[in-house]
Amino acid sequence: MQLLNGGAEAIPPAAAPREAILEVEGITKRFGANVVLKGASLAFRAGEIHAICGENGAGKSTLVKLLTGVYRPDAGGVRIDGIWRDIRHPLEAQALGVALVSQELSLAPALSIEDNIWLGNREVPLFHRRRHLREAARRTLDQLGMERVALATPVSRLSIGQRQLVEIARMLTRHARVLILDEPTATLSDSEIERIFAALRRLRAEGKSILYITHRLGEVFELCDRVSVLRNGEVIATRRTAEIDRAALMAMMLGRRLSDMYPQWETREGDILLRVRGLRVHGAVEDFALDAARGKVVCLAGQVGSGAVETLRALAGLVPGASGKVSVAGRPLKLRSVQRAQARGVQFISEDRAGEAIFLRLRVGENLIATRLAQLSRFGLLRGGAMRRAARTLAETVGVDPARLRSRAGELSGGNQQKVAFGRVVEAGEARVLLMNEPTRGVDVGARADIYRLIRRFCEAGHAVVIASSDLEEVLGMADEIVTLYRGRRIGFYRRGEADQQRLLADITHPAAA
Amino acid sequence: MTAAIETERPPWRRRWLNGNARRRAVTAIRLFAFAALAIWSIATPGFVSPLSLSALMTAISFIGCVAVGMTFITLTGNIMSLSLGVTLSAAALVFLSSLALGIVGACIVAVLFGVAVSGVQGIVIGYFRANPILVSIAALALITGISELVTGGQRVYPTAANFAFFKSRIAGIPVTTLIFLGAVALGELILSGTRFGRAMRMVGSNWRAAEAAGLNAATVVTGAYLLAGAFSAVSGILLAARYGSGDMELGAGYDYSAIAAVLVGGTAIQGGEGSVLRTLIGVSVIAAVEVVLLLRGFPEELQYLVTGIIVLLVIMLHTIGGRE
Repeated sequence: MQLLNGGAEAIPPAAAPREAILEVEGITKRFGANVVLKGASLAFRAGEIHAICGENGAGKSTLVKLLTGVYRPDAGGVRIDGIWRDIRHPLEAQALGVALVSQELSLAPALSIEDNIWLGNREVPLFHRRRHLREAARRTLDQLGMERVALATPVSRLSIGQRQLVEIARMLTRHARVLILDEPTATLSDSEIERIFAALRRLRAEGKSILYITHRLGEVFELCDRVSVLRNGEVIATRRTAEIDRAALMAMMLGRRLSDMYPQWETREGDILLRVRGLRVHGAVEDFALDAARGKVVCLAGQVGSGAVETLRALAGLVPGASGKVSVAGRPLKLRSVQRAQARGVQFISEDRAGEAIFLRLRVGENLIATRLAQLSRFGLLRGGAMRRAARTLAETVGVDPARLRSRAGELSGGNQQKVAFGRVVEAGEARVLLMNEPTRGVDVGARADIYRLIRRFCEAGHAVVIASSDLEEVLGMADEIVTLYRGRRIGFYRRGEADQQRLLADITHPAAA
Repeated sequence: MTAAIETERPPWRRRWLNGNARRRAVTAIRLFAFAALAIWSIATPGFVSPLSLSALMTAISFIGCVAVGMTFITLTGNIMSLSLGVTLSAAALVFLSSLALGIVGACIVAVLFGVAVSGVQGIVIGYFRANPILVSIAALALITGISELVTGGQRVYPTAANFAFFKSRIAGIPVTTLIFLGAVALGELILSGTRFGRAMRMVGSNWRAAEAAGLNAATVVTGAYLLAGAFSAVSGILLAARYGSGDMELGAGYDYSAIAAVLVGGTAIQGGEGSVLRTLIGVSVIAAVEVVLLLRGFPEELQYLVTGIIVLLVIMLHTIGGRE
């Protein structure tokens, strides 16, 4: 495994050595006790597309935020054209030519493309000739392959891919030389992805430096010249994509074999606990069917927009417009009420931890017992001793340090927060069905294995688990049964060992059936 | 925007204080401010006298009941209500006009009135997710308008009144004060000792997470407003009994003093964090400032100015202490 130990710069000088525009040196960022980046060093050159890969929690988005002045490093720094720069604000990053093409697009939908391109541009004088601006905007759009789109079109009428191109055009008119794209294709269709790729290749030819952050290994090899792998906040290696293959890249990202991450188990047959027929969520899920058996983990595999996440939210009672026939242990369950779902023993852990799963401003102990106050009170009065004992027991069950019970939940790492969320639903009276959306999103590698073990243990206690995940490795590593989804429809069904990554990927990106 | 600073070496982070140190500094400033206020109060001639101390306690009691009610609203993430003052006034009028039922009966009617008026707002805010401040402004106008119509703008005098009980003392402590302390104890018990109190904290901390955890957030918010109405009504009864008559001006300015007390006490304006006991401290500070200014012969308008400055400083301290 020589690849795993490679230095950050193992590349022989290219025939025509190019200067690095942007260099990151020894950059470190902490959040409380959590060190998210540990002395990372990277160099980005003109005229190249440089992929940044890494698992969730590897430090990719923190790196982006450091480069764009959203965060400031605890140690280390950034050099642009060889000069150290202290980037204190996103506007300063822009002034230096470093631009983020944001995922949450920052365009004003009601305004035209032209207005959006110039909106907030400080170089536009108060009294200006519109013609100049129009010509410049036109040139930039043409440069991105949008020759056939009129400047006056309101952005609201553009597809998401086109909006991204407008966003890029906006950065180019501000003299961006380093473009950062963070998972740009996550919400795009294939034809739109091709359009973005074509635009990026043109920009590369013009000497721009492009940082391309992605989970999709296929894109790394299709589009990028070099790839840097981040793991646990460290730069593991930088390689030319021509020099390595998929398996090697994966091994660098994970840092170990897959088998160490996921628990070992025997699939056992059990009776059906959760039966779903004809589930419908307006605009997200169509006529979905699912059976989840006692003692099994069922994974719903799908990308953003596949409906996997929405399916579980609907089953948890959180989606107002959901309809369908659902039964738990043979008894019918009416949707659209969390209380009814919980009364049937259906528990849910959201993918949106800060928004929906954890009370960040409450203490860890308060979070752990949040769903079982009924058992811990008499005539509406809380029983202090019982609460403390329950919180302690739960913390030990899920592996959260009991010394942290009095800390605020917001101070915990993503992994520990997820354990707290897990602790809240396990052993809650008669939890029978556990629904989990993206169980390890934002969870560091060490805690991931813990979470997987917890899920398995819960399952072996005779409960059913349904996981919605866009992480195919996780799906393959954890599932007894896999259901693939694409645009709100069920595509395929596989038992453990029947599917592989390619098969699933095909199902969730461009299924033959759809 | 100036360009980023060009530096000789990698720029190391230069932050004045990090999170924990910052929080400690804020606590220190807070303690220092309390100490300064205490010294200033004691150094004010006439502050430590039975008369002024009892005036202080009375002021604390009147603002205090409203502030306890306000605490529930702030804590559930609804920032503040601008209609508690008029709820107080209207409840006082209801109390005065229903004294024919006897004092106890009138008290019950007045509290139920407060509960109803505030509960309706709670329903609108909780179930329809209406903006709490706007709803309270609408309620302010509605309550004022209806009350003026009913009373014809006249002062309300009780038909047959005997407020001796409210003016008496038990073990040397005015009954008004005892009622207020009872309200604080009850409020704190509800907040820290009951499931409902915990539910209010959860909803205030994170509405969606509370719903996902199986709470009915709208009901919890409604409950918080019911309580706020009840506590305001208690304050209205105390004021009516003290003055022996009442009009809609009775509660003027009480919303403001109450929210000031809640914030000075350190309840988080974004909800989820805080306690009735903290509000008690806040009320004491606000009332002490008012009494001291009065004793030192400053005009009444200055009270508003000083309270305003205090609230502004406290809010700034909050943002400094809470920022990452």
